[in-house]
Amino acid sequence: MLKIENLHVAVEGKEILKGVNLELEAGQVHAIMGPNGSGKSTLSNVLAGKPGYEVTAGSVTFEGKDLLALSPEERAWEGVFLAFQYPVEIPGVNNIYMLRAGLNAARRHRGLPELDAMDFMGIVREKMQLVEMDESLLARSVNEGFSGGEKKRNEIFQMAVLEPKLAILDETDSGLDIDALRVVAGGVNKLRSPERAMLLITHYQRLLDYIEPDAVHVLADGRIIKSGDKSLALELEERGYDWLLAEAR
Amino acid sequence: MSRAGAERAGSDGIERLRRQAWRAFESRGLPTTRDEDWKYTDLSRLVATLGESWWTPAPETEADASAWEPLAVPGLEDARFVFVNGRLAAAPAGLPDGVRVTRLAEALQDQDEAADALGWDGNAPLASAFAPLNAALARDGLCLEVASGTRLEAPLYLLHVSAGGGAAHTRHLVRVGLGARAHVVEHFASLNGAAPGLSHPLTRAWLAEGAELIHERLLMEDKGCFHIGRLEVEQQAGSRLQSASLALPKGLARVDIVSRLLGEGAGAALDGLYLADGRAHVDHHTHVAHERPNCASRERYKGMVAGRGHAVFNGKVVVHPGADGTDASQYNANLLLSRHAEVDAKPELEIYADEVQCSHGATVGQLDEAQLFYLQSRGLAENAARNVLTFAFAEDVLSGLESDAVRRHLERAVLERLPGGAALEGVI
Repeated sequence: MLKIENLHVAVEGKEILKGVNLELEAGQVHAIMGPNGSGKSTLSNVLAGKPGYEVTAGSVTFEGKDLLALSPEERAWEGVFLAFQYPVEIPGVNNIYMLRAGLNAARRHRGLPELDAMDFMGIVREKMQLVEMDESLLARSVNEGFSGGEKKRNEIFQMAVLEPKLAILDETDSGLDIDALRVVAGGVNKLRSPERAMLLITHYQRLLDYIEPDAVHVLADGRIIKSGDKSLALELEERGYDWLLAEAR
Repeated sequence: MSRAGAERAGSDGIERLRRQAWRAFESRGLPTTRDEDWKYTDLSRLVATLGESWWTPAPETEADASAWEPLAVPGLEDARFVFVNGRLAAAPAGLPDGVRVTRLAEALQDQDEAADALGWDGNAPLASAFAPLNAALARDGLCLEVASGTRLEAPLYLLHVSAGGGAAHTRHLVRVGLGARAHVVEHFASLNGAAPGLSHPLTRAWLAEGAELIHERLLMEDKGCFHIGRLEVEQQAGSRLQSASLALPKGLARVDIVSRLLGEGAGAALDGLYLADGRAHVDHHTHVAHERPNCASRERYKGMVAGRGHAVFNGKVVVHPGADGTDASQYNANLLLSRHAEVDAKPELEIYADEVQCSHGATVGQLDEAQLFYLQSRGLAENAARNVLTFAFAEDVLSGLESDAVRRHLERAVLERLPGGAALEGVI
C-alpha cells in the first residue's frame, strides 16, 4: 500500500531525513520509534503534505500513485489521514461542518454521492462512541478550548468518520493520562481492519502496550537503523536508545 | 418636546439655518489628505468622478418597487421605509405603538426641532465640511421618536437606494425615550446599472436615561457610488448604544461614528465588519467620548482586505477629566488576503482621568498556515479552506448581530464576494 524509498527531506536547507525506506501493507500496523529530533514528525508531515518540507531525493508511492505529487487534500481524498501531534484550534469553524465538508469532498472525488445532514449525523453518532466523545464537543469550533485529551479523541473520531486507508498517528499518546490513553487506543484498535494500514509514530513504548504493532522501526538521525517485531519496542523501553545508536555508528 | 418659540417657526428661520450651514461648508471646503482625519482617504476621486459641483442633489427618480425590491433584506418589510436618491419612495402602512415617525420637512415646521434637526457643531469630534453640507442640503429623512418605556423588538428598516446622477443628502433623527428600546437598520444599496453618485446620510440620535438603541448600518453600494456617512449619538445616564457598521462597498466609503457618553453608567458597543476588495476603499473613523464617570465602551472592528482594496480604521477613545471608573476597550483586526491589499489601522486613546481601565490593539495578518493545512488534511480543497477561514474570521461579529435577517443577508453577501465562496452557502 505504502512504499517509501530512499526518502531525503530537508527543512530550510537542513537535511532531516537521510534515506528512509519503509513498506507497509494493508491490514498492517507499524510503529516508528526514535529519540527526539530523529525525524519522526518530519516523516509524518511529509506524508500528509505539509508545506515547508523539501524532498531532495527518493519517492513515496501510495497504492501505485506518486503521493508526493498530490496536494494535502488530494492525499486525504485518496485515503491518507494524519492524526496531529498538536491538533490546531480553529475558532469560528464548526467541528462537524469541517468533517462533513471534508468527507463530501472525498466522496465527490471517489464518484460517490454526497451525504446529506441526516445521514452524516447518523455516522457521527455511531463513531463518537468509539472514543467516548462528548456530544457537546461536536457543535464547538474545531479543537477550540478542548483539553489535551479531548483534542486527541477528536483526532481519532475524525479518523473514524473519514475512514482512511492509511492512518498516520503522530505522537497520539503524548499528553494523555492513562485513562484517556486507554480510550484513545481502544478507538484505534476498533479501527484496525484488513483494508487499513496504520503508522504509529511514538517516542515511548507505552502506546504499544495497548496497540500491538506488526513491526517496529527505529528512526535515528534521519534513517531507520533497526527494524523488528514488537519485542524490539520492549527492548527499547528497557535499554533506551543509546545502545542502538552506538551500534549504528 | 417643547413648543416654545414655535411662533417664530417659518421658512425664514429654516432658510437662515440652511444658509449658515452652506457658508460653513464653503469656508471649510472638501477635506484633503492634509487633514489628519482624512489622511488616507483621498476625495479627489469624488471630484474627478462627479465634477466640481459633486454635491449637487441627485434628480428625483421614479424607480418602482420592482427595481429596488431585489435589493432589500427579506423579512423586514413590516417597518420598511425606502429612499431613492434621498427621497422617500415607500413607507409601511402602520407602525408599532409608541413610535412616531415624521418626515424631515414636517419636523422642520417646529422651530425648536429645526435647530436640533439642522444643527451641527463645527467643534464636534470628526467635524468636517460634510455635517454642515448635510444640514444645508438635506431635503428628506425621518424623525423617529420612540416613546418612553416603549421597547421595540423588530427593527425599523431604512433602505436607501442609489440611482446615481448626483448626491443624496439624507438626514435622520432618532429620539429614544426613557427606558425605551429601538432598533434601526440603515441599508444602502445601488440600483442595477446606477450612474455614479454620492450617498451622504447623517443620523443623529439622542438616548434618554436608560434608553437603548441598536443601530445597524449595511453598506453595499456599487462601484460608482461614493458613501460619506455619519452617526452621532448623545447618550444620557444608563443608556446603551449597540452599533454595527457592516461595510462591503465596491467604491469609496467613509463612515464616521461618534458616541458621546454624557451620563453616568452609559455604555456603547461598537462593532464593525468591512470587506474591501477590487479597488474598493473603506474608511471607518470612530470617536467615543467618555465625558462622565463609570461609563463603558467596547469596540471590535474586523476587516478583510483583498485585491487592491484599501481599508482604514481609526478609532479614538477620549476619557475626559473626571470620567473616573471608565472602562474602555478597543480592538481592530485586519486580514490581508492579497499582496496588493492595504490597511491603515490606528487605535487611539486619550486619557485625562485617573481611575480608568483602558485597552486597545490592532493587528494586520494573513490566514494561518497551520489552520489551512489542518483543513486541507481533512479533505477541504485549498480554496474552500481559505474561504472557510476567512468567513470564520468574521464570524464573531456576524453572530453578534441583533437581527437574524440582517445577519443572513450579510453572510450571503460576504460569501458571494469570496472567490468561489458561493459554494459554501448553506453549509456554514
